[in-house]
Amino acid sequence: MSILAYNGGCVVAMRGKDCVAIATDHRFGVQAQTISTDFKKVFHIAPRMFLGLTGLQTDILTVRDRLMFRKNIYETKENREMAPKPFSAMLSSFLYEHRFGPYFIEPVVAGLDPKTMKPFICNMDLIGCPNEPDDFVVAGTCAEQLYGMCETLWRPDLEPDQLFEVIAQSMVNAFDRDAMSGWGATVFIIEKDKITERSLKTRMD
Amino acid sequence: METLLGIKGPDFVMLAADTTHAHSVIVMKEDENKIHKVADNLLISTVGESGDTEQFTEFIAKNIALYKMRNGYDLSPRSAAHFTRKNLAESLRSRTRYQVFMFVAGYDPNEGPELTFIDYLASSKSLNYAGHGYGSMFCASIFDRYWHPNITQEEAYDVLKKCVLEIQKRLIVNLKNFSVAVVDKNGVRHLDQISAKSLVDYNAAA
Amino acid sequence: MTLDTAPEVPRAGFNFDNCRRNAALLQGGFKPPTTTKTGTTIVGVIYKDGVVLGADTRATEGPIVSDKNCAKIHYLADNIYCCGAGTAADTEMTTDLISSQLELHRLSTERQVPVVCANNILKQMLFRYQGHISAALVLGGVDKYGPHIYCIHPHGSADKLPYATMGSGSLAAMAVFESRWKPDLTEEEAKLLVRDAIASGIFNDLGSGSNVDLCVIRKDSTEYLRNHELANKKGERQLNYGFKKGTTPILHTSIKDLQITERVQAVPMEIA
Repeated sequence: MSILAYNGGCVVAMRGKDCVAIATDHRFGVQAQTISTDFKKVFHIAPRMFLGLTGLQTDILTVRDRLMFRKNIYETKENREMAPKPFSAMLSSFLYEHRFGPYFIEPVVAGLDPKTMKPFICNMDLIGCPNEPDDFVVAGTCAEQLYGMCETLWRPDLEPDQLFEVIAQSMVNAFDRDAMSGWGATVFIIEKDKITERSLKTRMD
Repeated sequence: METLLGIKGPDFVMLAADTTHAHSVIVMKEDENKIHKVADNLLISTVGESGDTEQFTEFIAKNIALYKMRNGYDLSPRSAAHFTRKNLAESLRSRTRYQVFMFVAGYDPNEGPELTFIDYLASSKSLNYAGHGYGSMFCASIFDRYWHPNITQEEAYDVLKKCVLEIQKRLIVNLKNFSVAVVDKNGVRHLDQISAKSLVDYNAAA
Repeated sequence: MTLDTAPEVPRAGFNFDNCRRNAALLQGGFKPPTTTKTGTTIVGVIYKDGVVLGADTRATEGPIVSDKNCAKIHYLADNIYCCGAGTAADTEMTTDLISSQLELHRLSTERQVPVVCANNILKQMLFRYQGHISAALVLGGVDKYGPHIYCIHPHGSADKLPYATMGSGSLAAMAVFESRWKPDLTEEEAKLLVRDAIASGIFNDLGSGSNVDLCVIRKDSTEYLRNHELANKKGERQLNYGFKKGTTPILHTSIKDLQITERVQAVPMEIA
């Protein structure tokens, strides 16, 4: 078994029309045993930016803390909000610093640029190779299933309501085929003027 | 082999730990206390590599005491758990790693009760109930069935009894006694041990 | 003095803190995770008055295509570009690093940097890391000495060639070059040849796929033809798999309003 699948879990982010969505499952397990069903792997790190981290839980916590530290240093030095693009660059170089002793995580960044309000999504492998497609990004134990779901359901210029249904259905149907993820899910829709958080009713098995 | 259990209620956290100290196939000690009082409102229960458990818990306890001396107030249970996790995570990256599984349990008048699960990889999660060790595998379903958000201390103690009964019935390892401690607004108290003897005429169905 | 509360201000260079822990974990029987690789077909040819570089756009994580349209031709300087194959993060970061070193070099020497210089810095760096940085590169550029193609391997060896291929699709691409390359190609011939070599990789090598990227570097101009040819267009979806609003059952919703009202007030700074 891969070390990235030790605790289970998955995250997906999608781009819509002037909005982005990011979704996480709720499972925290130790191999096959579920310990908790309220572990959200997505963190709200700036008014319009979320960071999703999948993989080894201990590294999720460590990386989240270290990135927040670096982001806060940046914001105090620069006296302005960190946009998703530089945040991703920072994350990428942070992960590449640990090229030869990596953190076992796969990150996903989703947000709107604070100035232009342009949607931004990005994911990376565990050593920080950035990928910024214009449709969707996935990470976690059911990444393969998520690729399949997103590839069929996603289409360009989805409105926030439609984007929610697409990302929710992609997530739910992907992790129903994965034993290591699931047990509830949360979807965040980030728009210019508001952030909508919805918890989904899912199978609990 | 060793087992830890923990339950969080609306205004308390209750911990249970077996009292066996085994070395290889030999039981060395039958009355080891694995639940440590760290501060007025903080308990840490630890199992794992013998030696590491004592050393690491003591290191954390002394540092939390130092924090109180320096600042004049206690570290909140949430912060204590964060501190513990961080130190464990750092030790994992050193030449001398601690291999410990623990619960950090505490009660804070402002933040309420807090039960934090920490495993040997320094994974950490605040939970309502959980277990460590082989015994915990039999208890997950008991907790799922009997825990509820308004659980009282008496009910929690009863759930622990059910767990111990199941462990002693199903686990191949002989874990005779479980010490129990609770932390709430009045501080830390040790409750009666749950043992094979005390469970002789316990009716789990009642 | 370092602050006790902020002891982790990042230092430059690689960090090996996790190595011991990771070794212990992997010894415990866990499989090491896969990194994003660019299976890749990358090529470069010299033609009459310049070079043409080419690359496919597929990135893979094991058998999964993790990026369908990634850019593998990296900018090093205005007159030098570099195609990368191997571990995607390595090629990305290595070329970024060298690019900034070349720019500093250009500023301090006040001259256009020759291609051989980029080759030297790259191969010396890769040799220093003894192949642990798995970047296989095709470096191409034009300087005052003419057009050059270099082929740099992860361990730090480099060849100077008139035409080069790299990556898992290198055999397929080289077959095209070997049969059709000749000295003093015209630009159009060179572009077509490179396109065909990449297409041969895309369609015959599983590690390569999607689109053809080209980069033409001439004596005094550079043309980066990103997605020169979309070799694999996705079919149009006939039906719409849209969901009716409310399809997904929701437990609860919370909305955080971000509407920020702003009032600007002019404050007199100085009264004359």
